Amino acid sequence: MKFSISREAFLKPLQLVVSVVERRQTLPVLSNVLITLDNNLLSLTGTDLEVEIVGRIELEQAGQGGEITVPARKLVDICKSLPDKSVINFSEDGGRMLITCGKSRFTLSTLPASDFPSVEEGAGQVEFTIAAAALKKLIDDTAFAMAQQDVRYYLNGMLWEASNGLLRAVATDGHRLAMSSQEMPFSLPERIQAIVPRKGVVELSRILADDGDVTVTLGSNHVRIQRDDFRFTSKLVDGAYPDYERVLPKGGSKYVIGDRELLRHAFARTAILSNEKYRGVRLQLTSGLLKITANNPEQEEAEEEVTVDYEGEGELEIGFNVNYLLDVLGVLKGENFRMVLSDANSSALLEAPEADGSVYVIMPMRL
Amino acid sequence: MARIQLLSPRLANQIAAGEVVERPSSVVKELIENSLDAGANRIEIDIESGGTKLVRVRDNGSGINEEDLTLALSRHATSKIVDLEDLEAVATLGFRGEALASIASVARLELLTNTADSGPGWRARGEGRDMRVEVDQVQHPRGTSVEVRDLFFNTPARRKFLRTEKTEFGRIDDIIRKLALSRFDVAFTLRHNGKAVHSLRAAPGQLEQERRVAAICGPAFMENALFIDQTRGALRLWGWIGLPTFSRSQADLQYFFVNGRVIRDKVVSHAVRQAYRDVLYHDRHPAYTLFMELDPAEVDVNVHPTKHEVRFRDSRSVHDFLFSTLHRSVADIRPGDSVASSAPITAAGDSQDFLVAPVSSVPLQGRIDGLARPASDWRAPTPAPGSVRTQLAGYGQLHHNDQLMPAMAEQDDREIPPLGYAIAQLKGVYILAENAQGLIIVDMHAAHERINYERMKQAFELQRITSQPLLVPETIAVSEKEADCAEEYAQVFNDLGFVLQRAGPESLLIREIPSILKGSQAEPLARDVISDLLEYGSSDRIRAHIDDILSTMACHGSVRANRRLGIQEMNALLRDMEATERSGQCNHGRPTWSQLSLDELDRLFLRGR
Repeated sequence: MKFSISREAFLKPLQLVVSVVERRQTLPVLSNVLITLDNNLLSLTGTDLEVEIVGRIELEQAGQGGEITVPARKLVDICKSLPDKSVINFSEDGGRMLITCGKSRFTLSTLPASDFPSVEEGAGQVEFTIAAAALKKLIDDTAFAMAQQDVRYYLNGMLWEASNGLLRAVATDGHRLAMSSQEMPFSLPERIQAIVPRKGVVELSRILADDGDVTVTLGSNHVRIQRDDFRFTSKLVDGAYPDYERVLPKGGSKYVIGDRELLRHAFARTAILSNEKYRGVRLQLTSGLLKITANNPEQEEAEEEVTVDYEGEGELEIGFNVNYLLDVLGVLKGENFRMVLSDANSSALLEAPEADGSVYVIMPMRL
Repeated sequence: MARIQLLSPRLANQIAAGEVVERPSSVVKELIENSLDAGANRIEIDIESGGTKLVRVRDNGSGINEEDLTLALSRHATSKIVDLEDLEAVATLGFRGEALASIASVARLELLTNTADSGPGWRARGEGRDMRVEVDQVQHPRGTSVEVRDLFFNTPARRKFLRTEKTEFGRIDDIIRKLALSRFDVAFTLRHNGKAVHSLRAAPGQLEQERRVAAICGPAFMENALFIDQTRGALRLWGWIGLPTFSRSQADLQYFFVNGRVIRDKVVSHAVRQAYRDVLYHDRHPAYTLFMELDPAEVDVNVHPTKHEVRFRDSRSVHDFLFSTLHRSVADIRPGDSVASSAPITAAGDSQDFLVAPVSSVPLQGRIDGLARPASDWRAPTPAPGSVRTQLAGYGQLHHNDQLMPAMAEQDDREIPPLGYAIAQLKGVYILAENAQGLIIVDMHAAHERINYERMKQAFELQRITSQPLLVPETIAVSEKEADCAEEYAQVFNDLGFVLQRAGPESLLIREIPSILKGSQAEPLARDVISDLLEYGSSDRIRAHIDDILSTMACHGSVRANRRLGIQEMNALLRDMEATERSGQCNHGRPTWSQLSLDELDRLFLRGR
């Protein structure tokens, strides 16, 4: 293998790929990145056996083809520290990778490409094309609610569901739930569910750009998203996701509409004096007014009053974990937000009043 | 096919002996218990060759009537109970009426007795296949002597299981220690191969009792023990509990007596462990000698022939009483209480005498109102205030601290607090302080951690427990018994912010968890609590878990090593320690302070030798 490439052109796919490579490895080849050159098409592959990312670029002049793996971190560190706009030459010789650039020379150890594991693919159940920005919105609107290291392993991921005319992403950690939907021209005999693991979700959100379209393939045990310049493959979490539709509250009779930023700041201030461990705040709703109070074991108190539109019968007092409220108000977009409540023991539904497809459910706290 | 026939009396007894007479120590136990039941107040025990050759127990009890002698050696014969009602409220140690017959079936047994202070006594021997009893006249003072020779001479299989003479004697010694603790009013003498091992005089007063405990549990226990005495309704608990710092790696210094009977009971040990939970270092065991008295009808001793186990009719209230009493007593230990003396404890040369433990009798009022009091409450004489002042003034000059001087002058006429006044900080880790006895060394982080922890616990108790309902309830698969238990104890869970709901015969739903436990795993905790409830009828696991979280928070909020503290700050910490419960141990059970008395310092420098 032998080729030359400009530093910037090489770094872009390399940095895309390398983030999936874990720093500490028991299997040495997993800390390597696979470099494949076929005519003038150069591909770089990184994997942790669960998530695989391939970055592709076309070389300006064709090199000598071949495939080899080299240590990923060291390769990135070397390329990053070379001067801007320089041209890097790669050549493989007797199990070593020689990298030269101007007067710098580096020799990296290699491992054969045949040792490099590839994420296995099954047959695809559904394949569709979606705007990268739309997919990114689905992920970014819901990812915060995923569980982290929960024993219920299926909660440590995000549910993707394709049904007639709709693509939906759902995340929950058992205490709150986030759901975002996007209309799609699907026509499916039955809905298809897939749980994308947490790490895959985080990586995908990072590599998705705001422009262009991507092709998504949902298989029975993997998901693949690709474009000309990258291919992302992740295994799916095997398990049954909780029936999220049962969790969505229905028949809420009390509506609160308020200024999102105003309320977010009010919550952030009261949070200072809430109990540092369980972060409870009390919301008191009277006509046109929301009073937020918090106190801590030292008997210190915070109180905020915010003008809101409140429709509903009578007054309501309800407790929440303020972090959950802040998380939702942080991802919601638009000037206002809407909260639908029924009573102090039932879950609350939050969304943007102009219905952008994302809804959030939070369980109250017994204060 | 073999025909069915009645077993010979000897064989029947030998089978029974398999349960009762396991080794020489069981013989000793049965015989002494008989003596105690006969009202003896002096018991002499002679052992030869670890009890395999000879066990002789001689008492000054009521003796046995000549006419009853034949019966005494036969099975299911006893003077201790008459009908079923007696069995339900057994006040004697024995009652099954098997011991003598069983022993006689596996050894050569001779019984000498006399019911009167004068006149001839009687001797009984049981021999042969039918265990016919021969009775003849001998001279014997009032009381009964039982001689057991050649144990297991006719059951070689059993004999093979006996250990060395030393081990067997060790077990006998252990039994006698327990029995001696259970009856302070009885004098015990134990001789092994003609050599006196124990010679314990009757101990009517507390001082003598403490001497006996010191002789049996070791003087170190008595030095680090608290006397407690609490009564609630028909329950009374008294005895000595070891300070948390005097913990053991084995659960070997634990004596618990119910109505004078030594027992090992899981309800009891669970309650004690729970009471010490917050102050004991990981995997250590508390030391205690405790006596519980309750209505004999409330406890069933007829669980096992050896009577090591008992069953409480209301084990929950017993557990409750034990836990709350001990918990309170442990919490009430204050630095001033336990400033241990460093006076050397020397064993008296005369074997007839007792080890002199540095304990003094606690005024009776203290016992009656049930306050925990240190057994070792005496302190070295307080040095004249003037001398302390001059010394401290010297230190003050060293530090050029103007603040110290007026504070000290003010303290002149008052008593010096138990933890004294701070002198300096050592390596940013320890506080050095001077009190009436000498030098106090305080681990500043450990001490501050405990103070914060206790404050947080108090604050937590003042607030209502808040619970977080789950959006997606957690399902746990359990056995039907466990599910029933969870339903039965629903209130226990609710009180702590847990809501469990029956979802089917063998599954439960966790609907709500305490808000403070958000982020910890609810399922294993719920399982552990249920298994505790099944086993002991109570559980403090949820509380323990909450305490753990508070403890971590307290640890993070405490001063770290290498933080420079001023004299005033250090004094404030010392005063806080004196006012805080359980301040002798940090959250993890490590000690927070230690005393180096003037005597110990003098010894270091060989002063006054």
